[in-house]
Amino acid sequence: MSTDQQAIQSTNDKEIIVIKDMNKWYGNFHVLKDINLTVKKGERIVVCGPSGSGKSTMIRCINRLEEFQRGSLTVNGVEMIDDVKNIEAIRKEVGMVFQHFNLFPHLSILDNLTLGPIWVQKRPKAEAEATAMKYLERVKIPDQALKFPGQLSGGQQQRVAIARSLCMSPEIMLFDEPTSALDPEMIKEVLDVMVELANEGMTMICVTHEMGFAKKVADRVIFMDGGEIVEQNTPHEFFDHPETDRLQLFLSQILQH
Amino acid sequence: MKAKEYKPLPDQAAPISTIGVIAWLRNNLFSSPFNIAVTIVIVAVLMAIVPGMLDWLIFSANWSGTTQADCVKDGACWVFISAWSQQIFYGSYPDGEIWRVNLSLMLLAGVIALSFILPARLRNKVSVPAYLFLPFVCLLILDGSHIGLRQVTTDLWGGFSLNILIAAASIIIAFPFGFLWALGRQSDMPFARSVSVTCIEFFRGTPILALFFMGSVMLPLFFPADVSVDKLLRVWIILILFMSAYMAEVFRSGFAAIPKGQYEAADSLGLGYWQKTLLIIFPQVIKVSMPNILATFVMVFKNTVFLLVIAVPEMLQVIMAALSNSNWLGGHAIEGYLFVGFIFWICCFSMSLLATSIEKKLDTSHKH
Repeated sequence: MSTDQQAIQSTNDKEIIVIKDMNKWYGNFHVLKDINLTVKKGERIVVCGPSGSGKSTMIRCINRLEEFQRGSLTVNGVEMIDDVKNIEAIRKEVGMVFQHFNLFPHLSILDNLTLGPIWVQKRPKAEAEATAMKYLERVKIPDQALKFPGQLSGGQQQRVAIARSLCMSPEIMLFDEPTSALDPEMIKEVLDVMVELANEGMTMICVTHEMGFAKKVADRVIFMDGGEIVEQNTPHEFFDHPETDRLQLFLSQILQH
Repeated sequence: MKAKEYKPLPDQAAPISTIGVIAWLRNNLFSSPFNIAVTIVIVAVLMAIVPGMLDWLIFSANWSGTTQADCVKDGACWVFISAWSQQIFYGSYPDGEIWRVNLSLMLLAGVIALSFILPARLRNKVSVPAYLFLPFVCLLILDGSHIGLRQVTTDLWGGFSLNILIAAASIIIAFPFGFLWALGRQSDMPFARSVSVTCIEFFRGTPILALFFMGSVMLPLFFPADVSVDKLLRVWIILILFMSAYMAEVFRSGFAAIPKGQYEAADSLGLGYWQKTLLIIFPQVIKVSMPNILATFVMVFKNTVFLLVIAVPEMLQVIMAALSNSNWLGGHAIEGYLFVGFIFWICCFSMSLLATSIEKKLDTSHKH
């Protein structure tokens, strides 16, 4: 039985990410202030907020691309401490998709996908390639497997990036503004893949301004500003009955167009 | 309704004034009064110099013979080069053992060729060890005492083959060293960083001539009297360290060109430090650094002539010794130095061509 099937079957109230009083400073600049967030297994969370509000920084702390100075973080039962083995253990559970795709330009698409499974999970090459092709089919670009990233469109590259993370069979997927660098026509193909993933029960934290996506799949929408979580609620309550004036202002500004 | 028949118009010859030699001359040499003047001046200068030069170099030159007495014509005495050719290429390496030098050179050529011929999948697995073992294999072959051949001590090694082999041996070993220093320089560990910075700045900030003198004159003073480290070995180590410092700086600029997102993507996949460095960062660094790497190779190769200041019999040293030989006191300096310059130019130019082809080969970015 594969890990994803187990994930779907055992969707219960298990708390997979627990962030307690997380604080982070860049020098003297206080970027994250008392962040408290608990994510249950299978939960889909959308994080939004103005630029500079700390939303990217927060999700980058979850797989330790950024360090935080105070508070605690537990991912899938492993507490994040300053230890290489510990960090690598957490990174194996967490997949991440970046705004600028960050595919490896010197490797073919297939090699991009099999690199992690072969070198980190020590899986045999043939098996890793079979898995890679399975996920390329899922993101609907199996025919591009032997090309290089530079030959693909932005939307295709981002779908490859999603497939690359999925090949590591992560428990959690983090998305850091996955559609912000894409042309309007390509946003849909990436969002479709993400919606499909959400429907399969993947635990997701997604920083995005795609409010349609938030309404469609999110269990919870979080609004951040000035480094703190200002408001969090179900999509319905979040969009229709925002509690704070700050969120009302934010929504009125992004929904006006 | 029947469609009209389409008949393509026949191709016509281009106007004679826009193609061919005349158009080329007009566009490139006589396009403006200033260009006409420049062309005339250059042609006049060439006409004054070239015939005399060609006459001296080729037509009136002495091509055959074995001694200075055979140089009877006015032109260059190439007999000087041919008479000394064995020393120029092999130094004092014993006659019967010269095949060992040739074998080493062929191994070098073979390993280079191999890295071009092999398919991508095998290249790293075969070529990298082949390169790294090559200097030591050549050392065994040339010295001979450890593999059952007659020992040839390093003071007999020399000539242009020495220039090539010591440059290649230094470059090969300096490659991983330079990479480690570059990694150390941007490391978070204070010890690794300070050692790397000190080494890089020392060897980059000191002229190679001073380093050679230090290696040959000063270093032995620090060793106990009964320990003698071979002069050529000391020179090799100095060249490696010197070259490593330059390579480290080349790699550093390569590292700076790699977007931060590449590190983050590698981290988020859970790759360890060395996996990330060797699988993701290093191949991209090599690619962006290729022009500078090759420029550094050429520099070190040319720097091997400085070995003459500490009396290592490399090619230029052999020529200078030949010039002061009592049988050849006829003033053949121009022939000798021209020849050295020509040989080095041929080699460096080939390396440039090689560099261009490597750059094309490595380019998978498909930039628009």
